[in-house]
Amino acid sequence: MPVGPFGLDPLVWAIIRLIVAVVLVVALILNSSLLLIYLERKTQAIMQDRIGPYHTGPFGLLQTFADALKLIAKEDVRAGQTDVAFFIAAPALVFTPMLASYVVLPFAPPLVGADINIGLLYLATLGSMGVLGIVIAGWASNNKYSLVGGLRSAGQLISYEVPGILSLVTAVLVVGSLSMVKITESQTGPITNIFIIPLAFATYLVSALAETNRTPFDLPEAESELVAGYLTEYSGMRWGTMLALTEYGNVVVVCSIMTTLWLGGWNGPGVAAVPILGVVWFTLKVYALILVFMWVRATLPRLRIDQLMSFCWKILIPVTLLNLAVTAVLLIAFPTTLLPVAIANWILLVAFVVLLPVLQQRRLRHLRARLRERTATASLAS
Amino acid sequence: MDVLGPILFAFLTLMIVGGGLGVVLAGRITTSALLMAFTFLNMAGMFVLLGSETIAAFQVLIYVGAITVLILYGVMFTPQTPRAYGLFFQKQTPWGALVAALAALPVIVVAFSFHDAASLPAPGGDLNALATAVFTSFAFPFEVASVLLLSAMVGAIVLVKREPASRPPAAPPDPERPV
Repeated sequence: MPVGPFGLDPLVWAIIRLIVAVVLVVALILNSSLLLIYLERKTQAIMQDRIGPYHTGPFGLLQTFADALKLIAKEDVRAGQTDVAFFIAAPALVFTPMLASYVVLPFAPPLVGADINIGLLYLATLGSMGVLGIVIAGWASNNKYSLVGGLRSAGQLISYEVPGILSLVTAVLVVGSLSMVKITESQTGPITNIFIIPLAFATYLVSALAETNRTPFDLPEAESELVAGYLTEYSGMRWGTMLALTEYGNVVVVCSIMTTLWLGGWNGPGVAAVPILGVVWFTLKVYALILVFMWVRATLPRLRIDQLMSFCWKILIPVTLLNLAVTAVLLIAFPTTLLPVAIANWILLVAFVVLLPVLQQRRLRHLRARLRERTATASLAS
Repeated sequence: MDVLGPILFAFLTLMIVGGGLGVVLAGRITTSALLMAFTFLNMAGMFVLLGSETIAAFQVLIYVGAITVLILYGVMFTPQTPRAYGLFFQKQTPWGALVAALAALPVIVVAFSFHDAASLPAPGGDLNALATAVFTSFAFPFEVASVLLLSAMVGAIVLVKREPASRPPAAPPDPERPV
């Protein structure tokens, strides 16, 4: 009879480990969502020259906890014509894949749930599963705004998955592994992947914004057009699960992916001596990226749905495909050094950033000319 | 794993068969679509049990994340009418049963003539083996499949593409133009 840790049967130990891990992750998601909402409100307030929450607790720190208590205590309201089973199932369908993503996130050398050798593929897979819950939520609400919000969300998420995964593949080509731990271990020096493949980082950042439904891509819940999108009929803790927990949990997941792939994950000064210090570096990097997300939200206006789709399919996907092809060719041509890849990537990034406004201006000029022509003929006809 | 394996296998089998029956027998098409996603997830579990996590991940990525969502997308754009009861017992049921039995026959024959289970792949994942196979021995079939998908996609786009609005809706056939 094999004996596991603490003299327990391995089968019993596996179950105990599972329960402890799930409880820990749920606690982590709950607390980090509350803190992130507070952070979001405070950063927005600072950027808009306001004070933000400050009544409840020191610096208003307990405001979001009070909000969460209010949500939990709220009556469970459900509109009469909704589809009961699907309406109740949808928040769980959105929440569960996000929860399962935390299994492979490498917080610190001794703190990884499971080092599976397809970790990144696993994360991409779970990211694509959340769409199902959103579509079901929109449909089960039996509300036109919800339905349109759900369908928009499905279209947006499926479209932006393509450039996102292509950017991830570029990073994987450079590192040569899909395991999150191996990817982290490959970037021990100060030269992390962001200096080698900055364009892939930029394209992934854009598609991560879209995949987490954050401004400027928060069309599924565009309140000026769609009330609250697929969340319209939800209230109380169902709403809290879908919006607060899942959105902020997903933000943490995509920022962790970016931290691991491009910023070196847990690596930092002192980690070699004290491995658990990796948590601090990992958290700092993740929060820095989350602050970028919040900064973007406070700065940019929302896109229109056609702009969103044409940006994805006409600009982002060709750019990521080109980047992937160039990186693959250069990696095969120069198997010993990453310098050519880095040079090509920086050139492509500069070209991308410079050419994009030029192309956009040309397109706008063309559109304006056509509009003027049309109004001229219309006035002639009348 | 020796204890857990058969239990998990039995559970997954029950879920797959139950989910498949549910897909066919469910009254509403949305329920069917969700049950289909459920069946695919359980099949992914079966792949994990067989030691090929990569296939399992692709199963979920493609079938649950993309195909089921697109089917739901299609369902939502079609009018929802409750399916007529009794559709299940129609005249063609015996013929359907016969065809299904004929299709199942080779599977059953193979399944019962099969005694020595092939050894499971070594732990550590199937990623390298799969990638090597796809890009060396099976590169040509892989490319053929992708060309097939590409042509299907182009065909779908051509089928649903609207005529330009400037053209009159029912133009008389042009006698000059060769048909």
